[in-house]
Amino acid sequence: MIRDEDIVRVEAPRISAADRLYLTQIAQGMKVTLNHLFFKPRMTVQYPEQKREMNTQNYRGVHRLNRDPDGRVACVACFMCQTACPAHCIHIVADESPWEDREKYPQLFDIDELRCIYCGMCEEACPVDAIELTYEYDVVGRSRDEMIFDKEKLLEVYDSTKDVKPRKNPKITGYQRTGDRGKYDQLRDRLREMTQQSNPISAPHQTVDGERAPAPENKENA
Amino acid sequence: MTGGLVYLLYVLFAVGGIALYLAMPRTQGAHAKAGLVIGGGAVAGLLALCAQVYMAPHGSNIFYYIFAGVALLAAGRVVTHPNPTYSAVYFALVVLSVAVLLVMQRAEFLAVALVIIYAGAILVTYAFVIMLAQQSGGGSSADQRAREPMLAIIASFVVMGTIAGRVSDLRELPNSPVEVQATADVMDVPLADTPVKDAGNTLSVGRTMFNQYVVVVQLAGLLLLVAMVGAIAVSRKRIPADEHGPPPPPPGEIGRTVPPF
Amino acid sequence: MLLAFTQLGFSSILALVILGIILGMVAYSIYFERKIAGWVQDRYGPNRVGLPTLVGDLLPEKYGKFHFWGLGQPIADGLKFFLKEDIIPSHVDKPLFLIAPCVSLIVALIGFVVIPWGGQVAIFGQVFNVQVANPDIGLLYILGVGSMGVYGVVLGGWASNNKYSVYGAVRATAQMLSYEIPMGVAIMCVVLTCGQVRLEEIMASQVAGWNVWNLFYHPVAFIILWITMFAETNRTPFDLAECEQELVGGFHTEYSAMKFAMFFLAEYAHMITGCAFLAVLFCGGWDPIPFVRIPLFRPEDTGIIAMLAKMAVLFGKVAFFMFMYMWVRWTVPRFRFDQLMRVAWKGLIPASLGVLAVAIAGLYLGLHRTLWFTLPGNVAVVLVSLWVMSRAKDPVSGREANLPPLTRSPELGVQA
Repeated sequence: MIRDEDIVRVEAPRISAADRLYLTQIAQGMKVTLNHLFFKPRMTVQYPEQKREMNTQNYRGVHRLNRDPDGRVACVACFMCQTACPAHCIHIVADESPWEDREKYPQLFDIDELRCIYCGMCEEACPVDAIELTYEYDVVGRSRDEMIFDKEKLLEVYDSTKDVKPRKNPKITGYQRTGDRGKYDQLRDRLREMTQQSNPISAPHQTVDGERAPAPENKENA
Repeated sequence: MTGGLVYLLYVLFAVGGIALYLAMPRTQGAHAKAGLVIGGGAVAGLLALCAQVYMAPHGSNIFYYIFAGVALLAAGRVVTHPNPTYSAVYFALVVLSVAVLLVMQRAEFLAVALVIIYAGAILVTYAFVIMLAQQSGGGSSADQRAREPMLAIIASFVVMGTIAGRVSDLRELPNSPVEVQATADVMDVPLADTPVKDAGNTLSVGRTMFNQYVVVVQLAGLLLLVAMVGAIAVSRKRIPADEHGPPPPPPGEIGRTVPPF
Repeated sequence: MLLAFTQLGFSSILALVILGIILGMVAYSIYFERKIAGWVQDRYGPNRVGLPTLVGDLLPEKYGKFHFWGLGQPIADGLKFFLKEDIIPSHVDKPLFLIAPCVSLIVALIGFVVIPWGGQVAIFGQVFNVQVANPDIGLLYILGVGSMGVYGVVLGGWASNNKYSVYGAVRATAQMLSYEIPMGVAIMCVVLTCGQVRLEEIMASQVAGWNVWNLFYHPVAFIILWITMFAETNRTPFDLAECEQELVGGFHTEYSAMKFAMFFLAEYAHMITGCAFLAVLFCGGWDPIPFVRIPLFRPEDTGIIAMLAKMAVLFGKVAFFMFMYMWVRWTVPRFRFDQLMRVAWKGLIPASLGVLAVAIAGLYLGLHRTLWFTLPGNVAVVLVSLWVMSRAKDPVSGREANLPPLTRSPELGVQA
C-alpha cells in the first residue's frame, strides 16, 4: 500500500519543436555507434588462441591425484573425499598398500567429471592433500565414459599441471599425526567460546538461567 | 452474338448459379464437391463460348483462359468458403487474375492500380478486421452457413446475365492503346506533342481522365474527402470528462508536484 | 542463339544474373549485419567459419588457422537451414501456413525486374536496355509488388494460430498501410518532377542536362521515402511486427528451418530492392557524381565496360543504403506503437503533402526543375512543420488523459 504523500507525479519536460523531430538526437546516436563501429578496440577474447589471465592457484577446475616425492600416488584410500563429496562422483576401491609407510592405497580411483560440481569439498577433506583441483577448465570428451577419469588419468593431470601449480604440502605422505590442530579446529573452538560468552538477547538458544540449551545442530553432532 | 448463342450464355449462367447454390456452406448436407464440378464445367463452357465468339484478338492466348478460369473459380470460392480468411485470400487471387487479364489487354495502369488499391489496401484491411475478430482454429458457427443463398444467387445471376447479354452485343471494344488513342482523338483536346508510339497507357489514361472526365474525377475526390472527414468525425474519441465536468480535485493536500527536470 | 540477340533473350540472361547477385547480396548482407552488430558492440562478429574451410584446414600448421574473416558463415547458415527439422505445429492452419513464406519470398524477388541497372548497352551493334522489363508503369509496379508484401506476414501470422503471431501480423498490417501513404506521396514528387512513371525515363531525366539528381530537388521527399522504406521492410526502428521482447518472434514465431529462412531471405531481398529503388528514384541510379559529366557514365556510353561500371555504381549505392539500414538498426531504439502511428499520420503524411504541394506549384509555374524554387520550397515545408509542432500540445495517451490534473503549487516555482 502506497501512502498518498509518497506519490510523486513527475511532469515530463516540454520538448522544443526542433527536438521533436529527433533528427539531431538520432545523428548524435549514429555518431556514437560509428565511433564504436570503426575506432574502438574490440573487447572479445579470441578464446582458443587467447586466454584470459586467471589465478591458477585457487581456481576449481578438473581434479588431479598428487604424487609423493617418490612418484607414488599420494592417496591413502581413506574414503574421506568419497564421503564428503555432495555429488557422489568419487569411487574408490582400496587395497593393501605394497609400501611400508602406509596401510592402504587406491587400487581404483574414478571421478565422474560430468557429475562433479567442482565444489572442492574433496580437496578440503583429504588428510594427506592427495586430491586437488587444478586450473584446467576446458576438459572435453566424446562420450560419457570418456569423462570418467581413472587413477592413471588423474595422475597424468598432476604431471601436466605440477609445474604451474605445485602440490600444496609435498611433505605429507601417509598417516602422520602432526599433533597440532588444524585451523578449522581452532576456528570451531573460537566460535564455541564466543557463543558461550555472548549475552542472552543475541543468543536465542541460551536459557534464562545461563545454561546453554542444546541447539538442533549440536544435537545432531553429538 | 447471335440469338442462339445468347441463350447458351444464359443456360451457362443458370448452371453456374445452381453450382454456386450447391457449393454454399451449410451446417449439414453440403454438396461442395458436386458444386465445384458443375461450376468448373460452367466456367469451362463459358470460356469455350468466349473462344468461339471472340476468337480474335486474344482467342489464341492460353494465358487468357487460364487466368479467366482461375478468376471465376476463385470468385466462386470467395462466396462459398466457410472461413472468411480464406475468402479474403481467394478475393486477392481474383484481383491478381483480373490484373493479369488487364495486363494482357495492355491496360497496365489499370492492372497495377487494381492491385495496389484492392489487393494492397482494401483486402489487407479486410484481413486485418477478420484477424481481429477470429483466430484460426476455432471459427464462429455463423460463418458456416449461408443465409438466403437462393434469393441472393437468383438476384445476382439475373443481373449478371443481363449485363453479359447486353455487353456481348458490343463487338467494338477498344483493345489496344492505339485504339484508346483513337477514341481520345475524338475529343477537341490537342493530343500529342509526343508521337503515338510513345504515348503509353498511363499517359492515355491520364489525358482521358483529366480532360474528358475531369469533373467526374473532381467529384470522386470530393466524395472521398467527405467520406474521410466523416470517418474521422465518427471515430474521434470523446473523453467523458466533457460530460461530467472536470474530475473533482483531490481532498486536502495529496501528493507532491515536482517541477520538470 | 537467335533468342539471345533479342531484348527478351537479353532480359532473361540479365534476370538470372541479377537474381544471382541479389541472392548473394542477401546472404552476405546477413553476414555483414552480424558483423556490424558486433563492431558496434565492440565485438568481432562471426569470424570462425573460413570460406574455403578445406583450404584453411589443409594449410601447414605453422601458418596457424586462418579463418578468412568468417566469410563462410552464410554458407554454413544456409546449410543449417536446409538440414534442420521442418516443423509444422499441429494447431496451425496448414495450407495458409505453407503458402505464407512462399508469398513473402516471391513478392520480394519479383520487385527488381523494373530497376534500370545500367542504361543501355550495345552488343555487336544491337542496343539493349539493361533492365529486365520496361513496362509502362515501372514505378507503380514496384509499389504494387511492395504492397503485396504484407500478405506473407498477415497470412503467416494468422495461420500460426498463436496470439503472438496474430499480434505481429496485426501490427505489420496497420504499419504498412499507414506508411504506404507518405511513401506514395513522396514518390509522386518524383513523378511530377520528371513527368514520367517509367523508371528508365526517370533515370534519363536525372542524367540529362546538369546531372541534377532528384535528391537535390526534393530532399524532404527523399528523407520521407527513406523513412518509409524502413517501415515497409519492417526494420528497426519500425520492427514492431517481430519485436522479441513483447512478441517472441512476432509473425514468424511458429516457423522453423527453411520456412523461416524464406521469411528471412524475403526481408533482405525486399531491402535490396528498396535500396535500388531509392537509388534510382532520388540518387541518380548509375550516375556516380551529380553535377558532373564523367566519360564512362554518360547515357550515350553503351560499351560493355560502361555497362559494368554503371551496374557497379548502382550496386555500390545499394550497398551504401544497406549499410545505413544496419547502422540505424544498431543505433535507434524501437518505437512504441502509438509513437509509430503518430510519426506516420501526424508527421510524415502532412510533411509529404507539403512537399507535394511544392512540386505541384512548381509544375504549375513551370519551375519544377529549378533548384532555386524547389529547394526553398522544401525548406519552407520544414519550417512550417516546425512552427506547427511548436504550437502543438504535448501528445496525450489515453492513460494520461484519465489522470487527474496536476496541481500546480506556486511555492515550487512551477508556472501553470
